[in-house]
Amino acid sequence: MRLRVIDGGMVPWLDSQVIYHAVASAMTEASEDTLTLVNPAEPYVCIGYHQELEKEVDVTYCAEHGLPITRRQVGGGAVYLDREQLFWHFIIHRTRAPYRIEDVYARYLAGPVNALRAMGIPAYHRPVNDIQVEGRKIGGTGAATIGEAMVVVGSLIFDFDYEVMTHVLKVPSEKFRDKVYQSLREYLTTIRRELGDKAPTWDEGKRLLIDQIGATLGVDVYRDTLNEREQREMVRLREVLSSKAWLEQSGGLRRPGVKIAEGVHVQEGAYKAPGGLLRATVRVRDQLLDDVTLSGDFFIYPQDAIGALTQVLAGSALAQQELHERVTLFWKDNRIQAPGITPDDVVHVIMQASSSV
Amino acid sequence: MTSVIYRGCEFPADCYYDVERDVWVRRDEDGCVTMGMTDPAQAQCGKFVHIRFKAVGRTIQRGQSAATVESAKWVGPFPTPLTGEIIATNEAGFKRNILLANKDPYGAGWLVRLKPSHIDEEWPLLLSQEQAVERYRTKIEERKLQCYRCAD
Repeated sequence: MRLRVIDGGMVPWLDSQVIYHAVASAMTEASEDTLTLVNPAEPYVCIGYHQELEKEVDVTYCAEHGLPITRRQVGGGAVYLDREQLFWHFIIHRTRAPYRIEDVYARYLAGPVNALRAMGIPAYHRPVNDIQVEGRKIGGTGAATIGEAMVVVGSLIFDFDYEVMTHVLKVPSEKFRDKVYQSLREYLTTIRRELGDKAPTWDEGKRLLIDQIGATLGVDVYRDTLNEREQREMVRLREVLSSKAWLEQSGGLRRPGVKIAEGVHVQEGAYKAPGGLLRATVRVRDQLLDDVTLSGDFFIYPQDAIGALTQVLAGSALAQQELHERVTLFWKDNRIQAPGITPDDVVHVIMQASSSV
Repeated sequence: MTSVIYRGCEFPADCYYDVERDVWVRRDEDGCVTMGMTDPAQAQCGKFVHIRFKAVGRTIQRGQSAATVESAKWVGPFPTPLTGEIIATNEAGFKRNILLANKDPYGAGWLVRLKPSHIDEEWPLLLSQEQAVERYRTKIEERKLQCYRCAD
């Protein structure tokens, strides 16, 4: 068995998306299964196939900072991408790919996981499609059927600009943005953060990736370039992926909040209680309330009660009863005075914020 | 009409199948057809999070996509095994409950109704329940598939 590798090197930003769409579109059963490797020369933002641009991305920020935007034919959320991420894309004829998506990920994530391990990072595949190290994501991936191909995409993240990522997203409030930033820092790591000075060079990292993919899949890898048909598809798809119609098509998919990693989400909810508006910005991790910020236009005494309450809530199960017990006890122990705000209201807004996790 | 169930995957007798594309087709009394994803297909892709349909009135060729589906971990087309004009989609149903195809793939979870234009040539390419089960049996065994339906 052989795997064709097309190492495109650093390419114009749009081509880093176009390349796998083109190889997939050109694929027939007679085509060789292919791995493409690229990184974008310029930073950009990429949204998921069914997302609505205006609802997900701060397009003004992107325009002001010269960040182009495109849409990929793979699902998931908006991401900021730059040259510090080595993209890998498997393009496999669908008849040769596992049938179940879980099995597709298991097979094709194993190589990148082993490459990270070979660098000295104890990475593992967290199903369905995260690559993690000690509970933190070090690589996001996605899959799609494009033409006759099953496509699995992901990246080796050498470095990551957390701040820009946080700013390109359209978020409901600055508190929410802060929480996203803090959560990304906490739950998304990179090769350089893990290894510091011992991080491999770009070329070493790439070599390890290719070697480990070959060894893990048990295939002979061989270098190749795009064939004529694929090059024609590159030309056609550059037009498509850079068109206004493609970018601005009505996606219709709205996922509340931001997914940071598998099992980690930041969300927000608001509730008008008799004593004023309550807003909860929550981070949920594996169905536990990992972190919460409460804000709004209500009065509460003692003044530091909100900070203390958020400490008490951290780690609670997302269950009405447990939350209620914690808040009620806190109210009693601290002799809370909050006109028009009851423990029920606090629980209500937290449950509302977390409802779609 | 009896269904065959193999490793949790259901195949109703009143449907015809395109096993390669994982699509079922049912002939309606008015000469049109109703189509949807087979049970193995919904199990394979997992819980839907979104579906976008091609517009009603549009003519699509055999093999072209009538809708795109996004599940939690995958995006892909819903290819039609018959050429024809889309006369209805189940957009309203999926808007009410995005998990329709994961719960009831051959009933409430239908995707598209089509007025076929080349049915004489294309219908014989579809398989009956009996033929489809035989083909799926191999596919299911080889790929160790087990079908599950969404309960919630």
